[in-house]
This record gives sequence, C-alpha cells and structure tokens, in this order.
Amino acid sequence: MAFLEIDGLKKRFGNVEILKGINVELEKGGFLVLVGPSGCGKSTLLNTIAGLEQITEGEIRVDGRAINDLHPSKRDIAMVFQSYALYPNMTVAGNISFGMEMRGVPAAERQAAIDKVAKVLQIGHLLQRKPSQLSGGQRQRVAMGRALVRDPKLFLFDEPLSNLDAKLRVDMRIEIKRLHATTGTTIVYVTHDQIEAMTLATKIAVMRDGEVQQFGTPAEIYNNPTNLFVADFMGSPAMNLIPATIATSGNALSVVLQREAREPISLPMANAPAGLSAFQGKPIIFGVRPEALTDPEGAERNASNIATADLHIEVVEPAGSDTFAVTNLGGKGVVARLRADANIQPGTNTPLAFNLTKAVFFDPATENRIL
Amino acid sequence: MSAVTAPVRRASGGVNMKLVNRIVIYGLLALFALFYLMPLFVMLVTSFKTMDEIQNGNMLALPQSPTLEPWFKAWGETCVGLTCAGIKGYFWNSIKMVVPAVLISTMMGALNGYVLTKWRFRGHTLVFGLMLFACFIPFQSVLLPMATILGSLGRFGVSLQNSVGTSFGLGNPTVNLVFVHVVYGLGFTTLFFRNYYEAFPTELVKAAQVDGASFFQIFRRIMLPNSMPIFVVTVIYQFTNIWNDFLFASAYAGTGDAMPMTVALNNVVNTSTGVVEYNVNMAAAMIAALPTLIVYVVAGRYFVRGLMAGAVKG
Repeated sequence: MAFLEIDGLKKRFGNVEILKGINVELEKGGFLVLVGPSGCGKSTLLNTIAGLEQITEGEIRVDGRAINDLHPSKRDIAMVFQSYALYPNMTVAGNISFGMEMRGVPAAERQAAIDKVAKVLQIGHLLQRKPSQLSGGQRQRVAMGRALVRDPKLFLFDEPLSNLDAKLRVDMRIEIKRLHATTGTTIVYVTHDQIEAMTLATKIAVMRDGEVQQFGTPAEIYNNPTNLFVADFMGSPAMNLIPATIATSGNALSVVLQREAREPISLPMANAPAGLSAFQGKPIIFGVRPEALTDPEGAERNASNIATADLHIEVVEPAGSDTFAVTNLGGKGVVARLRADANIQPGTNTPLAFNLTKAVFFDPATENRIL
Repeated sequence: MSAVTAPVRRASGGVNMKLVNRIVIYGLLALFALFYLMPLFVMLVTSFKTMDEIQNGNMLALPQSPTLEPWFKAWGETCVGLTCAGIKGYFWNSIKMVVPAVLISTMMGALNGYVLTKWRFRGHTLVFGLMLFACFIPFQSVLLPMATILGSLGRFGVSLQNSVGTSFGLGNPTVNLVFVHVVYGLGFTTLFFRNYYEAFPTELVKAAQVDGASFFQIFRRIMLPNSMPIFVVTVIYQFTNIWNDFLFASAYAGTGDAMPMTVALNNVVNTSTGVVEYNVNMAAAMIAALPTLIVYVVAGRYFVRGLMAGAVKG
C-alpha cells in the first residue's frame, strides 16, 4: 500500500469537470511532481490534497487514512505557496511559529522548533525581520521553514520557484532536492516547468485538461512518452515530431521522411518493432529527441540502429555547451543536437545520424504511441 | 507631455505664455481658497470678540481685545432651549453616540468584507449588491419606518425592564441613534472593506487555514492587522458622517437629555430670548466642528493614502 493514494478523484465546479478521475500513488519518502500547462488542473489537484478545495468524487488517503473530509489543519500537511503567503504583519519567527501557536504549543517548545529550522535553512539572522525586509530567496526560505517546522506527513509545494529569477531558481531547486534527500519527507510538487519536474521528481504525473496523461518515473516519461502531448511537453528543446510514412524495402521496414525540394529520405529500420508493419503506407508521426539526431562522430557508439542521412541545415544555434542545428523534414523544423565544437555551417548539406533505437512512433489520428 | 515637446518650435513665445498660465492658475486657486476660507475666518475672529466689538466693528476685522470668554460661555453657560448649562453635556452625548457607532459599523463592515471576499457563498454578489443599494437610499425616506421600528424596540425594552429587570438599553435615545447609524453605515463600510479585501492575497487566508487558524482567528490575526489604511479611511468617513448628522439626531433624539451636539447647536443659535450672542454661537459652532477637524488633521494623510491603495498596486 502506497503512502499517498489518490483514487478516482473528480472535481466539478457546477457543470464543469475540472478533474476527471485522477489515480496517483506515491511511496513514503517519494517526490511526486504534477506538471502540465496552465489550466490543466494541477494546482486544483494540490488544493484538494491540502483540503482547500472540496472533492466531488473519489478518495485521498495518506498513510492508509482517508483525509478528504478533514479540515486542512487536521490533515497533517504543510504547504508552500507560489507567492510564499508570508503574513506581512508578523516577523519571520512569528510566521514560522504561527501554526504551532494556533495548535497551542507552549512558547518554549515553539522557540526550540524555530531555532532548529532556522539552523537548517540558515535564516537565524532574519528571525526578527518582517517579510517586507527580505529578498525573494529569503522569503522562499522562510516559507519553506514554515512548512518544515510542522514536521508533517506530507509537504505540498505550489510552484514555489516561479517567482524567482533564473539563477536563484536553479540554486533553490538544488536546495529543495538536498532537503528532500536529508529529511526523507514525502513531497507533492506542482510546476509548469518540465526541467524542475525532471530534476526533482521520483514520480511525475503529466496532466492535461484534468486528466493524467502519463504517470511514471522521469526516465519513463522522457524515453517512453505514451502520447504526442507528453512527448512534446517534456524535454527542452522539445522532441522532433515529424510526419512520416512506413515503407517496405526488401523484407525490412523503413521510415520515409519528406525533404524540401529533394527526394525523400528513407531510414531503414533494423529489428523494427512488430506493430509497425501494420502502418505500411499510412501516415504516422516519427518522434526523435534532438540528442538522438547528431553528427555521425558524436552518435552513440553502442547504439544498434543508426541511420545517416544528408540534411540541409537552415540555422545553427551555438548554445555554449551544445550546438543546435535546425533543418526541415516533413514540412516541420527539426532540431539536431551536436557537440559544442561541431563544424557545421548554415546553408550546407551535412550528414546527420538518427539513433533509431531511441525513436518512437505515434498514430496521428489518436495521438497515442504505436508501440 | 506637450510641455516637453512643444517649446522646440515656439521657444520665444513659450516663456511668456507659461508665465501667464501660472498667474491665471495660481490666481484662481488663491481666489477659491479665499472664498472657502472666508466663513471659517469670520467664525474664528468673531468667536474671540466681545459683543460690543461685533455690534460696532467690521465683520472681517481682527479682534481688538481677544477674549476666550465666548468659548467658556458656549461650553458651560449658554442656554440650549430652556436649560442654561452650556453645550458640554451635548458634546459628550455626541461622543457617547459616535464612538460606539463608528467602531461597531467599522468592525461589522470589515467582517462583511472578509466574508464577501474570502468565504464566498452562493449568492454573495446579490448580498453585496443589496448592501451597496443601502448607500443610495435617501435617508428622508426611511425616517418614518425607522421611527416605527425604534418605537417597537422601545416597547420591547419596557417589557424586558418589567420582566427581567433591565432593558439592555433598548429605547434609550443614544442606543437608538447608535443602532440607526450602524445600520445605515454598514453599506459604506462593507463597500470599503470588500473592495480592499478583494485585492488582499487569498493565499494568506489559505496558509492560515493550513496553519490551523479558525475563521475569527484569521480575521483577527491576519486580516485586521493588514487593514490599517482602509480602517483609517472608514473611521474618518463614519466619524465625520455620524458626528455631522442632523436628520436622524433631530428625528430620534431631538428633545431631552440625549440630544447630540448638532441638534444642541441648532437650539443654541435659534434661541429667541434676549440678544443674539454671535460670538458665543460662533464659539459653539467651532467646538462642534472641532472633533472632525482633529480627526482629519491627525489621520488625513492615511485618508489620501487609503483611497489610493489598491489603485496602483506595488
């Protein structure tokens, strides 16, 4: 039995169904990230776990106990809000201890707890300040301190890093990960940033329109997306999703991609997955991540299935750590990821290697993965 | 904007035009300021003059031998109707009526605003709309119905007095006035607080809920301490309105010992016996106006700040 179980959860506002039957499980000490575009229901789902929104159907269990009818304060949870939600009229110490004060914890005990948390988060020197006198990163720490001090069963984070600047965001991301590793708490974390999702999570739930599109480990989500939406949403730059057809040449299958003003290219599929032959002559979507499309020298050496094709390079983007090259296949811009020092010029025809072991195929009609 | 871009073209004529504009603007402002300050000036100088000086001198002239006598007389000796003990009793009547009325209506407005923004219920817009409607009711139209209600409350107070031994203040004119002003102030105070709390971050309320604070704990510990600007605005607004009210005061406490300041002042000025003591009347009027003046001076800067708050946020 998992530590956090969300079972057939539905949420309706009037006639509008916001959450359409969510099933998610998380083991004790796990880090679940709910990710999706805005309006997908991820924050609503978090609020139902917190008890700030009532659910219409289903059940939420923590440690075997159904909590969906309990008041937020009785659920043994702590929440970090997007705006930090620090009480502006109280000092940092007052903010951290407010919850304990409400539960009638004696003053001496409160002070000890404040000191302990302040030490962990290194905010001891800020305790007597008001939130308005703190920087963004410091406010973020205080908000986390307010959650940590309660020592709850479950931590809820609602886009906690979205108000920080880019550099601070990376620092705080690492800090949250370190905090999770050292304290071993169970966390549910909402974000729209797929990098945060990949780096922090032990489990990811990708959501769209009130439904979980895919639920799995970061590696599963990244390497084996179940549909076009997940494939497109996770990863930066996004996966190349190229309209293609399947053809037979001899007894082997090959993927045919249209090129602009030149004959189509045909990528032979050795050990083609079994289901693919059914799609012969039909349109499919061929998915390949930018790192699986690279210069032949940079291609993975032990990959079993590599096909090379000559491609017209339209744009080259040196990003420092990598160089991205944009070409056009099947009427769409396709991004290839090359080594930083790759010698490549825009406007030329350059051979690039497709790592077909990493390729995935989707049915354009259903948008689902073929295999 | 045009002041920045225009001078390039007509640099020669610009300076003169600017000067003329300035003169016209400041001249007009000075004229209107004079116009508005004149009555106050006349009141003030008259209140420090002796009767001889008033009868023989110029209305605008400064007092030849300034005296505080009219002020003392207005405060302690002048006749209000048939009793001649000054206006001091009525001044305290007003204070006793205004302070509870302001505090109760402000607190209830804050509570209403809190519920209407953070604890929304089905039909909250309708309730707010109806409360807003209270701001537009002409008070003359409610004089008679309210008199009937106050009469019933008074009779209920009498029967309580007979059965329980105390009327809980029902039927007391001061209590009646507090009741009336609370009821008719609620529309405004609710409007002020609702609009202020509308922009108040809801995440704070959610955080407090997770922290285990109750409905009233959130109100007292989170909402109220962060409402200072709108609190000051509401108090000034309510204080001025209730203190200056003459209609309700004369209708429901127009005679007897509970008469508020505004009615008493009217009776002082309208006394038909003997000579009209303009200096005493003016001093009495100044005393009547003093509390609202003090409230404005002390809290005025919050008033302006409060009206602006929320318009341009952060």
